[in-house]
Amino acid sequence: MSAPLLVARDLTCRFGGLLAVQGVSLELSPGRLLGVIGANGAGKSTLINMLTGHQRPTSGTVTIEGSDYTGARPWRITHAGVARTFQIAKPFRGMSVLDNVALGALFGQSRALPLATAKRHARELLERVGLGGKDELTPSELSVADARRLELAKALALRPKVLLLDEVLAGLRPAEIDPALALIDSLRRDGLALLMVEHLVRVLSSVSDELLVLHHGQVLTRGPAQEVLHDERVVAAYLGSRYAARQRAREAGSPA
Amino acid sequence: MAQTPHATGIVADPAEASSHSSVPARPSSPWRTALSLAPGPLLLIAAFALQTQLYTGQVRMVTTIFMFVGLAAAWNLIGGYAGYACFGQVGFFGLGGYTTAVLMTHAKLSFWLALPLSALAAGAFAALVGWPLLRLRGHYFAVATLGVAEGLREIVLNLPELTGGGAGITLPSVGSDAVTPWLGNDGFYVLFLLLAAAIVAVCAAVAATRGGYALRAIHQDEEGAAAVGINTTWVKTCAFAGSAALTAAVGSAYAFQQVTIFPERLFDVHITVLMVVMVVLGGAGTLAGPVVGAVFIAYVSEWLREQLPQGHAFVLGALIVVAVILLPQGFTNYLRDALRERRFSLLANVRRYRL
Repeated sequence: MSAPLLVARDLTCRFGGLLAVQGVSLELSPGRLLGVIGANGAGKSTLINMLTGHQRPTSGTVTIEGSDYTGARPWRITHAGVARTFQIAKPFRGMSVLDNVALGALFGQSRALPLATAKRHARELLERVGLGGKDELTPSELSVADARRLELAKALALRPKVLLLDEVLAGLRPAEIDPALALIDSLRRDGLALLMVEHLVRVLSSVSDELLVLHHGQVLTRGPAQEVLHDERVVAAYLGSRYAARQRAREAGSPA
Repeated sequence: MAQTPHATGIVADPAEASSHSSVPARPSSPWRTALSLAPGPLLLIAAFALQTQLYTGQVRMVTTIFMFVGLAAAWNLIGGYAGYACFGQVGFFGLGGYTTAVLMTHAKLSFWLALPLSALAAGAFAALVGWPLLRLRGHYFAVATLGVAEGLREIVLNLPELTGGGAGITLPSVGSDAVTPWLGNDGFYVLFLLLAAAIVAVCAAVAATRGGYALRAIHQDEEGAAAVGINTTWVKTCAFAGSAALTAAVGSAYAFQQVTIFPERLFDVHITVLMVVMVVLGGAGTLAGPVVGAVFIAYVSEWLREQLPQGHAFVLGALIVVAVILLPQGFTNYLRDALRERRFSLLANVRRYRL
């Protein structure tokens, strides 16, 4: 396996008396997808915010390709090759769908692209995420699913090496999830290092190479998805007793 | 549950979506670009032609309109495109005027050198104060910049050896010791017209290029702008410094035109208010907005002064209130949306934009 692109060591974030994230370490490598699960308030978004410079860590370090980026400004981290989506989609509402994506292509690298080239890139990306033909719409004219696609296209326009996905599947209908997962899988095959935060545990475990469970800001456990999901502490802390009961029932019913 | 009406409600109406996608993509061909830029030179030629048709009083009035076109367009860079409402813009106007006065009086510099130097000085000053100030947003930024302008006025008042203090300073533009001779009404008409045209051209260049994209992104969502790789601090500081430099260039020309200048006139907060009102009424963040707003406000204000010597300020104020209620997004933005959607009702507009 090639060297990790992004390494976080002992990340801690304190908001006054609240320890939102405590001593979390992780590595993101090309072609691998790390899934992060945890209940609301477990510190998932804070973790992403610390990786992208939107939140300065109280302690710990963030290293991108060997260089220290702890507490760096978001645009520096973007230029270093780390892109993200936001849990609450944040399109630029006064701009067309095309311009939203073109912005990322324009400014995503330290050397800005010419406008025409950026727009061409943006059109290709819109085609890839399934927004072809909606170039001239405004973000408010998009459906929930299309808004998620736009959020993804905006992040991809930065031509990142590392992509952090904060609940990109939220609000999608069941039929829309599979194409989204296929797209994410194609990104992994392209060699992107991926981190994906999601509430849909079953879906996430199906695409993750590794799962990391956050509980009250700390890493409860990590490892291959199937192992993690059967970990009793995870079942109790996050998935709840109902899931545990269903799991037991399925195991009792399945043997030949 | 796949086809419940509730579930389809999330997705945009398919009929509507297809009608949108059937609109052919409009590539920005050179012809379109040329066509969209044509009104600029045409207006410039018309303005030159207009000069021959005016009598002296009208020449001065139109000169003032040009001055406000330049000021409003300059304010639009930071207040419109970037969305940072600077309420201390007159500070840069005064700084430009006084730098020119000091350079011409004490250093015996030609006005043609003093004007660019004043613009540079104001730009550098704005970059310096902008570094901390541009971390503030909304009301805080507005109040802080207001403070900068007031501070500058106090400094000018308290340096009488250099600036003449409250007694004013007279630029050497007449008589035997004139550094640069006064230009006359027709000369200043051309000077302010060219200044306004140059400032609008600068704004057009910014709006059409990457800088414009960056500024609009910052206006709409600064955190999001940083996330797509825009160095927000740098872009905001450039816009602020550029806006200040252009404003100072106009202030420099104004000082030269007035011959004797006073701190109360050159740092008059009314000038800032006029710039803001012109841009907001015309359409903030658009190229034509400040031009339309400046011409409209300056012309109506002058016309009312003639018609109603007693109550003109009151009527103008009432007009502005009504205009802001009916066209909160500004005239040019209203016109663009109305043409795009073929909806011209002002009432619908009020409903859509009310806060």
